[in-house]
Amino acid sequence: MNLSLKASAGYNVVVNWLSTKSRQPFIFQQQTWQYIINGESGLVNAPTGCGKTFSVFLGTLIDFINNNPDDYTLKKNNGIQLIWITPLRALAKDIGRAMEEVIGELSMKWKIGIRNGDTDTAERARQKRQMPEVLIITPESLHLLLAQKGYPALFSSLKIIAVDEWHELLGSKRGVQVELAISRLVAVKKKYAIDNGQLASKEIQLPIAHCPLSIWGISATIGNLDEAKEVLMYPLQKPGVIVKANMDKLIEVESIFPDEIEKYPWAGHLGIKLAHKIIPIILQSKTTLIFINTRGMSEMWYQTLLTLCPELAGSIALHHGSIDMELRTWIEDNLHRGNLKAVVCTASLDLGVDFRPVETVIQVGSPKGVARFLQRAGRSGHSPDAISKIYFLPTHSLELMEAAALKSAIKENVIESREPKLLCYDVLIQYLDTLAISDGFDPSTIYKEIISTYCYKDLIIDEWENIIHFITEGGNALQQYNDFKKVEEEDDLLKIKSRKMAMRHRMHIGTIVSASMMKVKFLSGGYVGVIEEYFISRLEPGDAFTLAGRNLELLMVKEMTAIVKTSSKKKSKIPSWEGGRMPLSANLGKKLRETLNQLAMGNRQRVNELTKLDPLFALQQQLSHVPKENELLIEQIETDDGFHLFVYPFEGRLVHEAMAAILAYRISRIRPITFSFAMNDYGFELLSDQPIPVDDTNVYELFSPEDLLNDIQRSVNSTEMARRKFRDIAVIGGLIFQGMPGEKKKARHLQASASLFFNVFSEYDPNNLLLRQSYNEVLEQQMEEARLRDMLERIQQSKIIITFPGKLTPFCFPVKVDSMREDLSSEKLEDRVRRMQLDLKG
Amino acid sequence: MRNPIPHIIHNNTFWVSPDRCLFWEEQNILILADMHLGKSGHFRKAGIPIPQDVQKADLQRLITQLLFFKADRVIIVGDFTHSTSNKELELFKKWRNDFPLFRFDLVKGNHDILEDHWYIETGIILHKKELVINDFCFRHEAINTDPLENPSCASFTFSGHVHPGIHISGRGKQALRLPCFYFTREHCILPAFSKFTGTYRVKPKKGEVIYMITGTDLVRKG
Repeated sequence: MNLSLKASAGYNVVVNWLSTKSRQPFIFQQQTWQYIINGESGLVNAPTGCGKTFSVFLGTLIDFINNNPDDYTLKKNNGIQLIWITPLRALAKDIGRAMEEVIGELSMKWKIGIRNGDTDTAERARQKRQMPEVLIITPESLHLLLAQKGYPALFSSLKIIAVDEWHELLGSKRGVQVELAISRLVAVKKKYAIDNGQLASKEIQLPIAHCPLSIWGISATIGNLDEAKEVLMYPLQKPGVIVKANMDKLIEVESIFPDEIEKYPWAGHLGIKLAHKIIPIILQSKTTLIFINTRGMSEMWYQTLLTLCPELAGSIALHHGSIDMELRTWIEDNLHRGNLKAVVCTASLDLGVDFRPVETVIQVGSPKGVARFLQRAGRSGHSPDAISKIYFLPTHSLELMEAAALKSAIKENVIESREPKLLCYDVLIQYLDTLAISDGFDPSTIYKEIISTYCYKDLIIDEWENIIHFITEGGNALQQYNDFKKVEEEDDLLKIKSRKMAMRHRMHIGTIVSASMMKVKFLSGGYVGVIEEYFISRLEPGDAFTLAGRNLELLMVKEMTAIVKTSSKKKSKIPSWEGGRMPLSANLGKKLRETLNQLAMGNRQRVNELTKLDPLFALQQQLSHVPKENELLIEQIETDDGFHLFVYPFEGRLVHEAMAAILAYRISRIRPITFSFAMNDYGFELLSDQPIPVDDTNVYELFSPEDLLNDIQRSVNSTEMARRKFRDIAVIGGLIFQGMPGEKKKARHLQASASLFFNVFSEYDPNNLLLRQSYNEVLEQQMEEARLRDMLERIQQSKIIITFPGKLTPFCFPVKVDSMREDLSSEKLEDRVRRMQLDLKG
Repeated sequence: MRNPIPHIIHNNTFWVSPDRCLFWEEQNILILADMHLGKSGHFRKAGIPIPQDVQKADLQRLITQLLFFKADRVIIVGDFTHSTSNKELELFKKWRNDFPLFRFDLVKGNHDILEDHWYIETGIILHKKELVINDFCFRHEAINTDPLENPSCASFTFSGHVHPGIHISGRGKQALRLPCFYFTREHCILPAFSKFTGTYRVKPKKGEVIYMITGTDLVRKG
């Protein structure tokens, strides 16, 4: 009964329209269209900028025209047909514009609506009265729709849910939000079909052979495409298809070298010493994107480029997630028009529609992963046969090694996977509160939907009951003295009845990505951007800092706003945003070890990057040792700071953090000792005020895979890793929210930090769901037993080399200067405190 | 619990307890600050499930301290209650009826926003701004634009409000932050009695004394 695409009315309309623009459909688009008119679901694998939007969008149009061949141009107010989920608000406008253009040129009467945090209330009300045929929406805003009374009616005509940039959402809690929303919409559509006699009511119990809803993911290439598809298809209980565009572009990587590697910093200089070398590149090219890893560094780079090349003023811009939306939109518009020579940006410009004028991309510092590097490279060179050119600028010498590893990974097409998140209690609690403020929910119905998602497929009924208990009773309580009030039962449904609580929750849904951000405004009015509250809390009024490329002086903090004025001070603090530290992927780590091996073996056929590093490695060899692939290097060094133990497994930051915790824990069992430890992508450091008892006699034992599981558990319990995970969980799980206007004082009485919640739960309610989740996240995502065991077994097979360098080595330096540290101690707190000093004022 | 440490001020002995309060030996008075009674209930009322055992444990600690020192009077230097009325406060009232013999003096803090009659019904003597006994003054905030009512008669002030915490560091990039008692020449800032409170970093000057609370013990610095 499948309709042949090419014979269909819709196909002909669309192909004719394309030919008026001298364009032809790509094969992958036609494949997608055929699947869509057959009512199938699946995943389109296509890079940015090659018509992926049209694959699903035009398919939806073709299906509609096929069903209304005679009057498709006349039909209006058809109700919603397509929900287009996009991770970034900034993308919505461009996609909407492109879709409107098609609708207009086909003389159709469809409406394209955008719904996100920036949509005004009038437009929202209009949408509620009459849904547009296409709704472009973020995951958070989709959840907000589910928080509206009577929401199921809005979706009765829905045909397709498209999830754009699914690779970006997968592996994040926003991806889980998408999964939950899909599970609800599938159920809404099923119920609607039954109520209208399209489906026999007994079918609701059975796997749905054909749910009257299709789901389409759109994803760039990642290592686990099949799994990415499975996660999306899970609530449909059918396999779905994968359509591949096979349009990957050729990529050329060129490193920017320091003139003398010996003089180039070993760590921590942000690459700014090489800034002068990119000026000619910027000047030669039409438009250049300069990707910087953190927002703080991007502020610095923007300033530096302007100082080095003042004539760039006006044609260089700074774009990152903390900059005011309006300004970002302005930058994006001007990127489109080719009015900008260069944009210094962070991951904020990773996604979305193409900026055609971009000819060149510069990556500053390690991109930390092959997939991200490829995506950024793909930002340049847009004509079909153009080569994407990307420059790599190292921020410290050893990063050149990463450039070599990246090149080899690209050649061999080694790309990372994005692991989907599992059993996130915090997102589930937020979602249940959302359903509780709209129409209320029947727990047994919703439980079935929840376990139809990939994320919660293994949620057992006991855990579910715990969660319901948590949101209705507030966990365990003193019976007649319990004030807890949130979700209540009414007519067999669970509801939140307090309007104030409902309003607070609505404001809260969007905070899933930004923990506690503070607005920054000028005293004279005018909005600069947002900034982590943590950063502001460390400033005193009068201190200067940089945001959005401006020097600002903090005047005061008023409610959740930092009031500032322009500062004339020369010295200003650069905010260090949290989350700027992406870990190196396992794939890149492996490539790095291979690269290192080439260096140690003196391989002749080496790329430039490695030749350039020769003097540095000669120094490393002279001071200590350059490890080969089957060797593990350990350096013990004493400095004024104390006793350092450096270990270099080259496994990436996350694994190193786990390894450092386990090793510190094992050493601390030998005798009472306190460590602080730091790590980067190459290795980790244990630092103590006492000598560290590691030598030839015990080193293999310390790296033994034996009793690993117990040691993992114990070392997680004695570090702060779970506490850090808890910060996000507390926000998403609804423990922390910022006050609303008009309830200032009482909101203050409800303020407590995530860290305080963590303490209180740990001491008085150790089985708390959210607390358990924070430990689970560490154990599952970071302390993954299988991966650690593999690594330890590899170390057992390899030769461990312990050296005692007289001074710091090129390898250890970047680890040592890393400021983010963990602690682990087997000493009594009192004993530690007695040895420490007060930090006196002045 | 470890033993408290004596701290002498103007020939009076104040025992510094690792359980976040002071005992004034000469007067048989237990001194504490920032109990924030009803805070967990206030959060729970707003749908934030804080375990109620926090408050239960705080109350039990108070009783243990009263019995340990055989005190017959308690002075609370402000923020005895956290916010508006709730059931946990009723629980305290009931508890108070079971222990009517202790005298409770409360110097009002910014969080003590309940109607006066609640405190009166609960057997708590209210002091709006300060309480002076001999040379010693008790008030919520030590440094305030609000001057002392009778500055001449008091030469040492006990206060709360700040929830002082101290940052210490050592070799090997070790650092810790712990709640503390903060003694200067003229005043003492007590740590918050309730464990459901954060800390604010104080920076002592030379010659000032800090007692850090490590959980079960106290460590004196300075």
